[in-house]
Amino acid sequence: MSLGEGMSAVADILTLSHVQKAFGSKHVLQDVDFSIPQGSIFGFVGENGAGKTTTMKLILGLEKADAGVITVGGQPVHFGATKTNRITGYLPDVPAFYGYMTPVEYLDLCARITGISQRQRRIAEMLDLVQLKADKHRIRGFSRGMKQRLGIAQALLNRPQLLICDEPTSALDPAGRNEFLELLASLRGQTTVLFSTHILSDVERISDRVGILHDGRLQACDTLANLHQQFGRPQIKLTLPDAQTAQRCGQVLRPLPAQVQANQVTVPYQEAYETTAQQVLRALVTAGITPIALQQQSATLEQIFLEVIGNGHTTNHA
Amino acid sequence: MATLPTMLKKELLETWRTYRFLILAVVVLIFALMSPLIAKLTPDIMKMSFGKTLQLAIPKPTSIDSWTQFYKNMTQMGIFVVAILFGGTMSQELSRGTLVNLVTKGLPRWVVAVSKYISLVVQWSVALTASFLVTWGYTAYYFPDAKTPYIWQGFVPLLLFGFFFLAVILFGSTLANNSYGGLLFTILVVGGLYLVNLFKAAQNYNPISLIGNNMALVQGHKTLGELGPGIAIAIGAGLVLLAGTVILLNRKKL
Repeated sequence: MSLGEGMSAVADILTLSHVQKAFGSKHVLQDVDFSIPQGSIFGFVGENGAGKTTTMKLILGLEKADAGVITVGGQPVHFGATKTNRITGYLPDVPAFYGYMTPVEYLDLCARITGISQRQRRIAEMLDLVQLKADKHRIRGFSRGMKQRLGIAQALLNRPQLLICDEPTSALDPAGRNEFLELLASLRGQTTVLFSTHILSDVERISDRVGILHDGRLQACDTLANLHQQFGRPQIKLTLPDAQTAQRCGQVLRPLPAQVQANQVTVPYQEAYETTAQQVLRALVTAGITPIALQQQSATLEQIFLEVIGNGHTTNHA
Repeated sequence: MATLPTMLKKELLETWRTYRFLILAVVVLIFALMSPLIAKLTPDIMKMSFGKTLQLAIPKPTSIDSWTQFYKNMTQMGIFVVAILFGGTMSQELSRGTLVNLVTKGLPRWVVAVSKYISLVVQWSVALTASFLVTWGYTAYYFPDAKTPYIWQGFVPLLLFGFFFLAVILFGSTLANNSYGGLLFTILVVGGLYLVNLFKAAQNYNPISLIGNNMALVQGHKTLGELGPGIAIAIGAGLVLLAGTVILLNRKKL
C-alpha cells in the first residue's frame, strides 16, 4: 500500500515522519508517517484506543515521541514548550475551563496569551460565531454543548494555521453538529483542519483526506476518491418484501458474498457490474424471488474503514 | 515574559472568586482579634473557673502574652490553614486539564509556576500584614507597656518562613496528582525540619528557626542577624523549590 498518494503540490503544514510512541510495554504508535497539505481538511479515524488522541497530543507537544520527527509549518515540535503552538488551535474532546470566569474573561485570557490585536472585536466575533452571549454568566453553569462551543471559540480565536479537533462533534446535538461541520468546511483553503471522530459520515461529508489508524499504524492515508478506488468495493443492494425472503435470497445467491440485514441483501463485487447483476438476477428468477428494488452502490467510508482494518471480509460474508 | 502579568491577574481573580483569599483573611483576622483579647481575659477566665480555690497570684497580662498568643496561633493553625487552602493550587489545574488550552496557545509553563508563586506570596503577605497590624493596634490599646519594643523583628522571619513554606506547597502540589498528595508532601517536609531541629548544631540553619524565635526577637533577646543562616537557607531553599517546580511542570504530561 502506498501512503500519501494524490498529494497536491501545496506545501504541507504538518508532517509526521516515522513517529513512535509506547506507554510501558504497549506500543500505541508505530512508524506513523503522514503529512497534511495546507488548507485541507483531514479526517482522522480509528477505533477507541487506536492512538488518535496520542497523535494529536504529540503534534501539540503535550506528549513526547519515542522516535520520529513532527513538524508544523516547517518547524520541529518539541515536548513541553513548542513554538509551533503559536500557529495551532486545539479543541480537546472535553475542553476544561475556569468555571469562575465568564466566556468573555476566558477568551480575553486566551487572547492575551496569544497576543492577538483588537482583542475585544475578535472576542465578540468568536462569541457571535458560536452563538454564546457576552453576559455575566459564569462558565461553571454551562451545559456540555455550550462548553464545546466555547472550546471552538477559543480554538479559532488566534486564527490558527492548523486547527486540531479531537472528536469535536461528540457532545453536540444534531443541529449543533451540522453547524459545526459547516463551520469546519467554511475554513477550507484558509485553515488546515485535522479532526478525529467516530462519526464516519462527518468525515465523508467534509474531509479532503482521510487517515485510518489501526493497531498503532496508519493503515491508509489518502484522498477520499483514492481510498474508494483502492479499498471500496462497489455493491449491489437488493430490497426484498420481508426479512424471510431476504434470508432465502442470501442463500440462493451463494457463492456470492451476500450480506443480509433485515429485508435487504448487499452483494459486493469486483468484476464488471453487468456480469454480477446478471448472475444475481438469474439466481433470483430461478428461485422465484422478486425484489422490490435493485441499486448499484459505491462503498461507504464505514465499509472502507472495515476493509482497511481487516474486518471487511468477516462483515461482508452472509 | 509578557504573559506573566496576564497569568498573575488570572491567579488573583481565581483566589478572589473561589473565596480562598477571603477564607485566609478571615482566619488570620480572627487570630489577630483573639490574641490580645485572650491575653486580656485569661486572668478573669481563670478566676471564674477556679474561684477562691486557686491560691496562686495570677500575674497581670502584658503585651508579651498578646504577641505570644499571636505567634502561637500563626505558626501552628495559620500555616496549617495555608497548607489546606493552597495544597491543590497546581494539582487541581493538572487533574482538571485547565492548562491544556493555555499551553497549546503558547503559554510557557514556567509562567504558570511563577505566577502561582507570586500570587501565593502576595496573598500571604497581605493577610499576614493585615493580621499583624490589627494585633499591634489591639495590643497597644489593651497593653500600653514597653515590654515588646521590637515587634517588626518578630514579624519579618514569619513572613519569610511563609515564602519558603509556600514554595514547599507549590512544589508538592506539582509533584502530586491531587491535593492530598501535595498536603502529605508539605507535612513530611515540615516534619523533617522539626526532626532536624533536634540536633542543636543544625538549629541555626534550619528554616524552622524562623518561627521559633519570634518572641525572643520581639523582646530584644535576639537579633535578626542571629537568624541570618536560617533566613538564607529558607530563601535559598525557596528559590530551589521554585526552580524545581518549573522543571517538574515542564516534564508533566497535560
